[in-house]
Amino acid sequence: MFRQLRYTSIVFAVVLLVAAACGPAANPSASPGASASASPSAGGAASTLVIDQDVSDLISLDPAVVYEFSGVLLAHNVYDTLVRFEGTDLSTIKPGLATSWDTKDAGTTWDMTFKLKTGQKFASGNAVTADDVVYSFQRAIKLNKSPAFLFTDIAQLKAESIKASDPSTVVISLPKTASPAAFLTILTFTLGGVVDSKEVKTKETGGDSGSAYLLDHSSGSGPYVVDHWTKNAEVLLKTNPNYAGTKPPLSGILVKHVPESTNQQFALEKGDADVARNLTPQQISALQGKAGVSTTTAASLLLVYVGMNALKPPLNNVNVREALRTAVDYDGIIKDLLKGNGKKIQGIVPLGLAGANETAPFQADVAKAQTLLTQANVGKVTLDFLVPTGTAPGGVAWSDLGAKLQSDWAKIGVTVNIKQQPTADLLTTYRAQQGQLVLINWGPDYPDPDANVGPFTDYKAKSIAYRNGWDDAAIAQKGRDAALITDPAKRVAAYKDITDYVLHNGPYVILYQPTELFGLRSNVKGFNWSSIGWVDFASVTK
Amino acid sequence: MRFVGFLLRRIVGIAAVMIGVSVITFAISHVVPADPAVAALGDHATDAQIAAFRAEYHLDRPLPEQYVTYVVGILHGDLGKSIRTRRAVADDLADSFPATLELSFAALAISLLVGIPAGIWSAIYRGRVPDVIVRVAALAGGSLPVFWLGLIVIGLFYYQLGWLPGGGRLDTFVPPPPTRTGLYVVDSLLALDFDALRSSLIHLVLPSLTLGYFSTAVIARMTRSSMLEVLGQDYMRTARAKGLAERLIVVRHGLRNALIPTVTIIGLTFGSLLSGAVLTETIFSWPGLGRYATASAISLDFPAVLGVTLLAAIVYPVANLAVDVAYYWLDPRIQRG
Repeated sequence: MFRQLRYTSIVFAVVLLVAAACGPAANPSASPGASASASPSAGGAASTLVIDQDVSDLISLDPAVVYEFSGVLLAHNVYDTLVRFEGTDLSTIKPGLATSWDTKDAGTTWDMTFKLKTGQKFASGNAVTADDVVYSFQRAIKLNKSPAFLFTDIAQLKAESIKASDPSTVVISLPKTASPAAFLTILTFTLGGVVDSKEVKTKETGGDSGSAYLLDHSSGSGPYVVDHWTKNAEVLLKTNPNYAGTKPPLSGILVKHVPESTNQQFALEKGDADVARNLTPQQISALQGKAGVSTTTAASLLLVYVGMNALKPPLNNVNVREALRTAVDYDGIIKDLLKGNGKKIQGIVPLGLAGANETAPFQADVAKAQTLLTQANVGKVTLDFLVPTGTAPGGVAWSDLGAKLQSDWAKIGVTVNIKQQPTADLLTTYRAQQGQLVLINWGPDYPDPDANVGPFTDYKAKSIAYRNGWDDAAIAQKGRDAALITDPAKRVAAYKDITDYVLHNGPYVILYQPTELFGLRSNVKGFNWSSIGWVDFASVTK
Repeated sequence: MRFVGFLLRRIVGIAAVMIGVSVITFAISHVVPADPAVAALGDHATDAQIAAFRAEYHLDRPLPEQYVTYVVGILHGDLGKSIRTRRAVADDLADSFPATLELSFAALAISLLVGIPAGIWSAIYRGRVPDVIVRVAALAGGSLPVFWLGLIVIGLFYYQLGWLPGGGRLDTFVPPPPTRTGLYVVDSLLALDFDALRSSLIHLVLPSLTLGYFSTAVIARMTRSSMLEVLGQDYMRTARAKGLAERLIVVRHGLRNALIPTVTIIGLTFGSLLSGAVLTETIFSWPGLGRYATASAISLDFPAVLGVTLLAAIVYPVANLAVDVAYYWLDPRIQRG
């Protein structure tokens, strides 16, 4: 009997020893999960929207730091901005915290004056003042995280040129080389989110401007506040009790980290999720006609394209590049590979932004492409083609897209050797101008045509034009000039000129603009996805 | 004294393993041609941002210097900062490891509770129907891929039948218990939070069955073969000759001896459960170490990958050490060396 007991206790000891060995790691005293339990649970299933989404990109909820899809979606609903776009419209800037604004030519600078609405409050109960705006913008510049370049590079904004002239007036001066129109669109982005300076200052530790606190807490005046973020599991937003606008119909927004799209589909069909964010085109088709479920699509501002490095012969020959563009079967890609989840666009500005050019002259013209190759007189063309691993925007495997292009080009006698690489590897090569043909996508940093025209035309910006070795000083200058035009109609006309030129002279094959797909419960209404990458939760009902 | 020497030799061995693992992992992760700064910042980042990022993570220093910095950090209890999450790797591990540990314990419990009796049963009824059932089930356990099995059980028990939850650690509107160990079952017991306890237990069922199936099969087969060997021993015949009850013979004389090899593989099994958790965690939306490791590897997050590797490298030898120590007491022949 005694020996038997000893056996049992040994088995136990083994398990306990292993547990003890892992002890230090298993004691997450700093775990944010601990704070989650201290807060009351959400108002229950009926008034909480449950979104199943892959949020592995989430690193912070701080408006000065977020630049990832999940973080932007959440921070947008927590922090108000001076100006905003409403719903899905990206053409008209509407009042946010600012009730009016005005741009004045002050000789060497643009002086932009913003008048704040009265009666706006932060979740803490503090009033929103001009000092909060100044603090927030200066904080973003000081922290200098991923999105800060929008202020410092694009708007060329300096911390000292942001001032409060009185408690409800903010004056911001921009150099004449920056575009006031682009700056206004930047202000609609989460980087322009206004934080409660009084509260955040009390949370500062070691000169971090409160970024450790705002990582997983909120201090904004938007319709929602951050209730908790359990790392790798979920984020819960609850309504802001001091919100000055109309009280949102839903009291909670729960974003659950569900990486597998199959689980998202199951949960949606079972009613355990209200929104499934990462469904494939096949899953969306499978959901058609099922009870209690609906699907919706939304525009995105992404462009999927092939970069052709003009430094690598024969791609330095404009006729070779035109031949490659001419040979591609764009309609086939959208119809067969994307199952319709994409739009045909061949210019460098996506549909939905001012200046989008809908001219689409190319479509699988083998004879014309061969004539162009003959004119180029470069002999047999063989090229390396870098293709990312995984899934391209629109839901098609990058490899399938690469294979389709390979077969289209084979028809005109061009041989491409596909080399598939993880995106990070591919980008390392691409950034160093070492690619020949590179399949990849691009999304604008802010909803303004300049966010595409600059990178695609300006070699000196060391972005896309640089990576493809395309140094065309004249078109780059035209792009910089267009950014500064204040008359909207003249600006659109200038972009038409530029995009028409790039269409035939640039080193790009613009393939398509993908569509975003969502699975929803049928009772979810008002889920209007903006192509910037967010939805106003305050307008959603269920 | 002999025991202390044995223990010391083992601990020195573990230290050597750790150094080896850290050097190899460090070297491998740094020969990847891609730039982790590019992976972290994406294709929109300016050269200045990338340079600043490389400086922040010492990626601009020579490789040996980076390694020394890293080791010095570890000796000070600092595993570095994750490139992907921008948090201390130690904090990330502390967040995700308990979830994996809980899942692995549950899977191990299932393996022992099901695997050992199944193995005994199979041995006693050798060649007959129960044996065939156990052997077929064990063969399936050894050959079914985890991701396939996981999707099938979710499809059946969650989607079709609706008996069990399809993922996560708790029901949507059940708040987690106050964190003490990070193991929800333990924490909810400590807090006497029976809602959370019930919810965390039912959420463990499908993932731990999926994860534990393979090790259950291994343990069942191991128990069966060692039990068969023991059943043929002279002392078993003697016990029968003495007229002891069959049940007593099997349990007291047979099982006790047959369990020795099974104890050996528990340590190994526990280690394999931790690594098997990668797929299981992804399928069951389980916020554990496996998923953290996958996401880190994809984004070339060297500090995080190294942290996970070192943690796994500790768990394996420590589990084996625990088994050895158990052996040392269990089998006097080892003590005599």
